[in-house]
Amino acid sequence: MKRYIIPVVPALVLLFACSTLVNAQTKPEASVKFSGEVVRPLIIGASGLQRAERVTVDRKDRDGQVHHYTGVLLSDLLARAGTTMGKELRGENLTKYVLVEASDGYQIIFTLAELDPDFTDEKIILSDQMDSKPLPLADGPFRIIVQNDKKPARCIKQVTSIKVGFAQ
Amino acid sequence: MSACQIEKKRYWSRNFCVLLLFLSFFVGFSALKSEEEVPRGIYSLEYPVYFGNRTNISKENPLTQQGVYLGRRLFYETRLSANNTISCGSCHRQELAFTDGKKLSKGVDDTFTDRNAMALVNLLWNRKFFWDGRSGSLEDQAQFPMISAHEMGQDMETSSRKLQSTAYYPPLFKAVFGDDKITGKRITFALAQFERTLISAHSRYDQYLKQQIKLSPEEMRGMTLFNTAPNPEKGIRGANCAHCHGGPKNYLELFHNNGLDSVYRDRGIGQITGQETDHGRFKIPTLRNIALTAPYMHDGRFSTLEEVIEHYSEHVKPSVALSAFLQNESNVKGSLPLKLNSVEKKELIAFLNTLTDSIFVSNPKFSNPFVTLKSR
Ligand code: HEC
Ligand code: HEC
Repeated sequence: MKRYIIPVVPALVLLFACSTLVNAQTKPEASVKFSGEVVRPLIIGASGLQRAERVTVDRKDRDGQVHHYTGVLLSDLLARAGTTMGKELRGENLTKYVLVEASDGYQIIFTLAELDPDFTDEKIILSDQMDSKPLPLADGPFRIIVQNDKKPARCIKQVTSIKVGFAQ
Repeated sequence: MSACQIEKKRYWSRNFCVLLLFLSFFVGFSALKSEEEVPRGIYSLEYPVYFGNRTNISKENPLTQQGVYLGRRLFYETRLSANNTISCGSCHRQELAFTDGKKLSKGVDDTFTDRNAMALVNLLWNRKFFWDGRSGSLEDQAQFPMISAHEMGQDMETSSRKLQSTAYYPPLFKAVFGDDKITGKRITFALAQFERTLISAHSRYDQYLKQQIKLSPEEMRGMTLFNTAPNPEKGIRGANCAHCHGGPKNYLELFHNNGLDSVYRDRGIGQITGQETDHGRFKIPTLRNIALTAPYMHDGRFSTLEEVIEHYSEHVKPSVALSAFLQNESNVKGSLPLKLNSVEKKELIAFLNTLTDSIFVSNPKFSNPFVTLKSR
């Protein structure tokens, strides 16, 4: 019996490695890229978001139902990328904006002060879960949720890029 | 001779010199002029306020009159192709709003392009180019067709060398860039300048937006359908086109899957990102001058606007990547496609026809300058 197991194990390992490799080729992990006026450009995927401090926000979606969205405060992620948040958010830094882009090219902006917890209690998160499940395909894998906006237009779906810039 | 007389003589000789200088300038200038009247100075773009100012002009490449002048010549320059027969203007013909009327276009090697030639209309407001948005500026975009084997098939060095050896181009490049060296970068810069001037803003729809005319009742109903999301529960009929093709420019710079296929020969953006949700996603083209730019879609599969409307009304195909804007957006509850009636289809097309700008497609500023000029 043992004689058979020995070659089977590495074969299985190889098979597993191959299949993940093939997977990686056909379907690279989705991620969000932080760039622009940031000290540490950041690319964060599903696993990175899971490791950060998680927040849940409730809001109504187009279907009229209230959903629980879980993710990470956008301000935390921006701080991690080295954006001027908190004490540094003063002077000309108050003229910075955050341009969020989706995979279909749709774009919206926030100002830094709208996101910073020293300025506001409004919770704006980069979510990856709705009601404890991954977001629906057409919304995810990453979606911005703005807790109190009346219109959902800034709850931008399928987010791929977040860029900090100075208003010129 | 008194001191006063000497002064006078000096005065005259000095003035004579100045006069001579002036004259020689004038003679020199008019000699240049008779050869070719190159306009110079800043080029000011004119467009309606409702187009907005979110334009895309490289800081490195501001528009000048001489730059646009050169760019227009390069756009129609067949020497930029390997066999001296094809120019940008071969696949982008002015009378067809800078398309070529073909499903796919033939290049120098007699094979076809992978995709349908796109209209060049109001590119000044575009930030992503090509059906899959793979290029970020007109300067960058221009080199693709020039070096592609299935299009113009000639590397930039050869193109530069060919133009450098003419008598015609070096002085023009000097007028634009300060010296007469011709490089690939300078060729793309001048082309980009010309392309930014291709602004279409004189359609009947523009006259309507400027409150100069009224549209016909049929066109108005078509416009309402175009702008309205259907809601069968409330009895509201609509075609919801504006969600993707809306705004005064009829262009929103979005990339979607509009349900043409569920199995893809061309995966569009999905080819670049590898994401399943990006499969069959393509640039949503402007609908300006749409009546002139058949055949339609990235592969030119539809030859008439009727077929296009028929697609949205009856044949939208479900898939993982199908745009959310085309789901739960039907006039019949539970149906995927729009389900428009025959009158509504006609009304929509009547509205689409108001987007045709006959001034744009006949503007001499955009035409082939070499049609009459032989000696180059
Ligand atoms: C052989 C035909 C052919 C020639 C020649 C050609 N094009 Fe194109 N053009 C196309 C096709 C096909 C596409 C779409 C290609 C794609 O998306 O992959 C295109 C797309 C474009 C676009 C993108 C428009 C948009 O809305 O994104 C621009 C700009 C453009 N061409 C400019 C030029 C210029 C400038 C030249 C000359 C240097 C040129 N073309 C020569 C066929 C051609
Ligand atoms: C979900 C967004 C979306 C909606 C809604 C939509 N379109 Fe489109 N449209 C597209 C995309 C994407 C393409 C290009 C698809 C391709 O080539 O694969 C396109 C292409 C077209 C074209 C061809 C353009 C060209 O230059 O080839 C026409 C015409 C058109 N649409 C008309 C309409 C009309 C009329 C409606 C409303 C009934 C409509 N569209 C609704 C996304 C949309």
